[in-house]
Amino acid sequence: MSEAHLDNGEPVVAVHDVCKEFYRDAITIPVLSGINLELKRGDYLALMGPSGSGKSTLLNLVAGLDRPTSGTVTVCGQSLESTSESKLARWRSRHIGFIFQLYNLIPVLTAFENVELPLTLTSLSRRERREHVEAALQVVGLSDRSHHYPRQLSGGQEQRVSIARAIATDPTLIVADEPTGDLDAKSAGEILDLMERLNREFHKTIIMVTHDPDAAVRAKQIVHLQKGVLVEKTHAGQE
Amino acid sequence: MVPAKYNVRNLRVRWVTTLMTVVGTGLVVWASVLTFGLADGLDHALRISGDPLDLIVMRKGANDEGSSNVEQKVAKEIANLDGIATDKSGQPLCSSEFVTILTKPRRHNAGTTNLIVRGLQDVGRSLRPEFTIVRGRDVRPGVNEAITSVNMAERFENLAIGEKLEINKVLFEIVGYFEAAGSSAESEVWTDLRDLTGARRQAEALSSINLRCRDEAAKTALLKRLRDDEQFKLDAIDEPKYFEKQMEASSTIKYVGYVIAVFLTMGAMFAAANTMYAAVASRSREIGALRAIGFSRRSILLSFLFESFLLCLLGGLLGCLATLPFHGLSTGTMNGATFSEITFAFRFGPSVLLQGVIMAVTMGLVGGLFPAIRAIRMPIISALRET
Repeated sequence: MSEAHLDNGEPVVAVHDVCKEFYRDAITIPVLSGINLELKRGDYLALMGPSGSGKSTLLNLVAGLDRPTSGTVTVCGQSLESTSESKLARWRSRHIGFIFQLYNLIPVLTAFENVELPLTLTSLSRRERREHVEAALQVVGLSDRSHHYPRQLSGGQEQRVSIARAIATDPTLIVADEPTGDLDAKSAGEILDLMERLNREFHKTIIMVTHDPDAAVRAKQIVHLQKGVLVEKTHAGQE
Repeated sequence: MVPAKYNVRNLRVRWVTTLMTVVGTGLVVWASVLTFGLADGLDHALRISGDPLDLIVMRKGANDEGSSNVEQKVAKEIANLDGIATDKSGQPLCSSEFVTILTKPRRHNAGTTNLIVRGLQDVGRSLRPEFTIVRGRDVRPGVNEAITSVNMAERFENLAIGEKLEINKVLFEIVGYFEAAGSSAESEVWTDLRDLTGARRQAEALSSINLRCRDEAAKTALLKRLRDDEQFKLDAIDEPKYFEKQMEASSTIKYVGYVIAVFLTMGAMFAAANTMYAAVASRSREIGALRAIGFSRRSILLSFLFESFLLCLLGGLLGCLATLPFHGLSTGTMNGATFSEITFAFRFGPSVLLQGVIMAVTMGLVGGLFPAIRAIRMPIISALRET
């Protein structure tokens, strides 16, 4: 895995004055207001806060899955608030690696094929894709399970396949939404070790949404959200 | 593009719904292709009956041989006209024929219907495509014998070899079966010209003259000569055109078949749409994940359309395959032009099967379109939150 993109000191993530409102039955529901956040290359940020505080909404804005009501979101040099749907899809495939709470693997594809999926969107040859998949599965320690289907894997293993899928395209930013939320303590610990390794060894920039303080302390920075407002920013070891 | 194996394996995993949709689509295609094969068989029987160089000469104003009459003297003059092709022995390929229509009982108490009995000379056999005796023997003139096709023998009383057909209280013994490449000739009973006119007590009567022209130029000249000669008072008709008129009967079958096919197809489209809606609903999180990792809306749309297409294509192929045992199976209907029974065989050639496959593909694409649109209209975040 390389770390070649955006090495010019520009922030990987720059969120300025972002507000996000949802509309339901003519009622406006403010979710985020006045959010400012910057992440540099190699940062590892944990987003914490109670349910409904806007953690996942902020993560979705940074990942290009949603657009802010106002303010700007620039990620990997790309302004996301006005980019078209199709451009965003292409951009996500190049720059973002996703880790979901419920893994979201495709049940009818093997571990190998799941990891290969985002690579089919690139111009890599079949041989190159295979090399990338094998490398990613080796990083997560699942080379021997490459031909297993998700149903044949434990929750922890599924999440590791999901991490391998997230890193297969060598993205600039990894976004993780409650990556340990569905795992037992032992598996959760393994996943957090793995994410720490991705950050430390491969200098991956990571944003992780979590409820779990034990998971949050593994990040380099922790940001607390309350009722859609950033209330506290701490560095690891300061909690 | 989403890899095709994603769709193929999903169909395999949901094998019960897949099987039900495939069988449903297959039945629709099977029923429709059977109708198309029926119409094509009838078309073929009439199409093959007409040789491009053959002419049928009848009385001016007669629509068919049954209502026509030609004088013996005129028939002899026509046989001597220049431009008529000859056989190996130099005999002109010109056959004087007498046609009579009798009402006869069908086998298995299936009522009565009109039967064409044709009296003709030996040369008339050379004017029918691939005439061959397949069982028994040909008729001997003067002893009231007749031949017919196997199909007719199976459909009518008294037409099997050894049985006797009564024509105007004269009994004609069936002595053989013939084939003529599935043409309309196989829907007739043939006997000797003189034996038939004798039995009908119309010794000098002729209905028509069938002849083959030497070439296209001779045909044009003969057509003009026969039509323009006031002395003959006859009309010469291009044989393929004569049978084309009779094909109007098959267009009714076709029309009814297509109307049924359209309604069945619409029903099958709903079945395909239902299956695909269920597929989309149960795979919302997968769709969300695929879109999150970078697959475009277009890719997802095409992926679900492909799945629906595949589902119906399987049904279509199954339906087409299931019609093949009926290929060549003989049946019959009323020829609207002659008001007599015409026998023909189901034909499932490439064009008929292609129509079935096109039907299936249309079901898949139209039936899959709305579920596929639903799949791409789901917001990614909502899709990812589906349980």
